[in-house]
Formats: sequence, structure tokens, C-alpha cells
Amino acid sequence: MNLARDIMTIACVSTGAFFFLAGTVGLLRFPDTLTRLHALTKADNLGLGFVVLGLLPQAEGLRDGLKLISIWMFALLAGATVSQLIARAVRRSGAR
Amino acid sequence: MSGSSGQRNVPAGTITRGWWSSVASRAVGFGCLWLVLAGAQVGDVPAAAVAIAVATWTSLYLLEPGSSRRSLPAIARLASLFLYHSVVAGIDVAGRALNPRLPLRPGFVAYPTRLPRGVRQNVFTTLTSLLPGTVPAGEENGQIIYHCLDVTQPVLADLAAEEAALIRALYND
Repeated sequence: MNLARDIMTIACVSTGAFFFLAGTVGLLRFPDTLTRLHALTKADNLGLGFVVLGLLPQAEGLRDGLKLISIWMFALLAGATVSQLIARAVRRSGAR
Repeated sequence: MSGSSGQRNVPAGTITRGWWSSVASRAVGFGCLWLVLAGAQVGDVPAAAVAIAVATWTSLYLLEPGSSRRSLPAIARLASLFLYHSVVAGIDVAGRALNPRLPLRPGFVAYPTRLPRGVRQNVFTTLTSLLPGTVPAGEENGQIIYHCLDVTQPVLADLAAEEAALIRALYND
């Protein structure tokens, strides 16, 4: 069973790393603030989600698992609110 | 982000009972969150009590207890729709970022929402800002303005599906 757990961890964490990589590439290549904002929030959402999913089988107990999931939820909530605020500010000021 | 908005046209007795039950359920929720994040240690009890009290007060101040019914199956459907949209559109954004030709058609789209301004609209914009491909960038004449990576995608249809699921899950009154 340990092998199956490790395989799931490797697969999910690698997928998460891929989304973080894609998000970072987007952050560097996308042309303006608003499009770069997309790249950033998406990396958090999916990349961190897959990393957490991959770490769940390695968690010591229920509490550690719930802790990982809450960290993901807090990162989502922070990303969701802050990206809106930045987008509103950019649109209002007309910055690029 | 505006603070509170709620319906006050409910008989007073219902409000008080409902209010105390939301105080209790939110305090229990924050208590559980504390246990998950910090663990159960006797020495932590004073700090935990203060944190739970402040968190409960803040949540009641920012988000008044509502009277609408919540349905668990509908919340589960909303969550699965959200996950599905996140994965599909996340792959789409990753593909665009890694594509050598960088296929972007960025622009603004106005979404005519059915949700009233205030908490409900904020919950909707927060939920949709987590979806790849859309970032809410303010509102104009009752419409939410979304910035999209590709305006030729069916963004409005996806937003409408998400809104319908949200209304069924939380605001079915």
C-alpha cells in the first residue's frame, strides 16, 4: 500500500509543480498586469491544490490532513480577494 | 468590498433565535479550525478563547446571519462544478502560457448578474475569481466587469452556470 501512496504523491505533486511552472511562465510572458494576474491566481488554485492532494496520503493523521486542506483554503481565499482588489485598482487607474 | 447587507423584514423573535444559533455554530466552527491548525494544548486555551471570540464577532459583523435555506446536495454540486471548471480552465491557461505563439485575446466582458449588490455579489465574484480565465475587475450599471484571457471563450455561459449553482446552494430563498 505504501508504494501506491507514494506513486499518488509523486504524480500529484509533479502535476502541482507543473501548474506552478506554467503559472510562473505566464507571469513572465503575459503582456500586462491583468493577464499576469490570471497566471498567478491560477497557479495558486490548481498548483497548490495538487501539491496538497499529493501530500494527503503522507499525512500522519486526520488532523494533519485537515491542516493541509485548510492551508489550501486560506491560500485560495487570500488569492481570490486580493486578485479582485488588484484588478479593480488596475482598471480604475488605467495602469498597464 | 462592501460590508454587510441582509434582510431585516423577518419577525424579531425568529431573528434572535436564529442569531444565537449562528453565533454558536460559527464559534464551534472557529473552535474546530483552531484545533486543526494549532492542536489541543491546555496552555493554549486562553489564546484560543480570545481568537474564537474575535473571529466570531468579526464574522457576524461582516456577514450577517441570513435566513435563506442551504442545501447540502446543492453545495456539493456547486463544489464539483467549481472543481471541474478550475481544472479544465487551469489546463487552458497553462497551455496558453506555454504555447510559443502565446494565444491571448484579453479583454473585458460585462456579466449581468441576478445577485443583489453586497455580500451575495461579493461571494459570487470571489468564487469566480478563483476560476482560471476570469478575474472580476469591478462593476458598472449593475453588471460585473470581468477581465478574460480570451474573450472568444464562452465566459458568460460558464459564469451563468456557476451563478445558478451558487443560488441553488446558498441563496435559495
